[in-house]
Amino acid sequence: MGKLPTQTYQDIDLRTPAELSEHLRNKLKLKNLQAKEAFKKKHPHADKFLQEKGVELANIRTHSAKLLGTGALAAGLLLNNPSQPLTFPSPNQIVANIIGQGQLSSLITPQEQVLGALKQILPEKPQPLDRTTEKALENLFKNEIGIPAKATLEGEHLNTTYGLIGAEQHLYRYPGDTLAQHGSGAVLDEGIAPGLGAWGYFAYSKDKLTPDLEEDEKWYAVVQTLYLPNWNQRARYLIGWYKYRKVLIVNTVNGKAVVADVADAGPAAWTGKQFGGSPEVMNYLGGPRYKKGPVIVFFVDDPENKIPLGPVDYSTIKLPQVVGQAI
Amino acid sequence: MSAIFYDHLIILDELDSEIKSVSGSREEKEELWKIVDETIHHRVMDVILSRLPRESHEEFLEKFTQSPHDRALIKYLREKIKDDVEEIIHEEIQKLKKELLADIHKKK
Repeated sequence: MGKLPTQTYQDIDLRTPAELSEHLRNKLKLKNLQAKEAFKKKHPHADKFLQEKGVELANIRTHSAKLLGTGALAAGLLLNNPSQPLTFPSPNQIVANIIGQGQLSSLITPQEQVLGALKQILPEKPQPLDRTTEKALENLFKNEIGIPAKATLEGEHLNTTYGLIGAEQHLYRYPGDTLAQHGSGAVLDEGIAPGLGAWGYFAYSKDKLTPDLEEDEKWYAVVQTLYLPNWNQRARYLIGWYKYRKVLIVNTVNGKAVVADVADAGPAAWTGKQFGGSPEVMNYLGGPRYKKGPVIVFFVDDPENKIPLGPVDYSTIKLPQVVGQAI
Repeated sequence: MSAIFYDHLIILDELDSEIKSVSGSREEKEELWKIVDETIHHRVMDVILSRLPRESHEEFLEKFTQSPHDRALIKYLREKIKDDVEEIIHEEIQKLKKELLADIHKKK
């Protein structure tokens, strides 16, 4: 039997956000300790084995990221070695061919060319790419999309550049900000995140919110800085480096591209996603119902800050220069 | 990206929503994500080792510590356990999810 109207007040949680957070932490921590204890008790030999190897299950993700980083580098060196026989076109050859075709075939749009190249270059499922593939993609994006984007910029590289992006909520831009002030229509459907973005408020007050900062929130991206192999050792530097760092996001299914800036950390590895996008980013990449999909994320090489945030429209056919000249 | 060979079997969006709804800062959110992540690894390895014949434990752990991301570990485990290891891991994660959500929703 349901509760009487006079009793429903009992369902209202009157705890403060800090108390709710503490409650959640305590519950998660307790379960964590139980899991660790059970593992040690049931498999002491495995616990000992891991200790001897210097590997902690708690830090297995960081350990794996380190191994993957080293492996990708080695694979890149191997694939760049000209003594290795290649029985199929390399990603660079594929991109070179496609860029070459673009000059001849004016009926194929750059977007179609990018999609064609992505289909040939990328593995079937999102996964870390080797350096050769990443270099080929850099070439493709620069020539066809017109954005100088790099997988490794100033020595920094994400754990993966090819992964799944998920829909994020709007972020509070200043104290007192509300969802209604973030636009209208479908972009409001995701709501606003209860917590702040990775760098806190975008501005101290509404009157300090410049059009640039407004764009920063509108076109923000989320990347998994927390799983970078050396995040703990270099956190101070990396926080500064990643703050509002521009990234090029390319939807590998439809070729749509957007320049976004990093404004939050995540998603958690156990969500099955590797990146996140603001409602505007997601709406542009895949429409109002787009919640998750494969993308490439590269850093934009824009030292003079000339490339604007937002959609990159490269769908129109680039006609050879001679076409416009008078006969 | 799959950093751990069983990552594709773990999707706990509901738990993520709970964390996001109470976390005030990046540090707080990341701390809670990490606690959940650690719990997952211990529970999954526990269930794997409980099903894997004892004589294969060292071999598996050696492979796992060398390439934690390698999906071939699923194939290895399937052969050794002679059962659908992906289903076993998936079930364990679902069990963990239920336990965690039930704990969280208890007021005390």
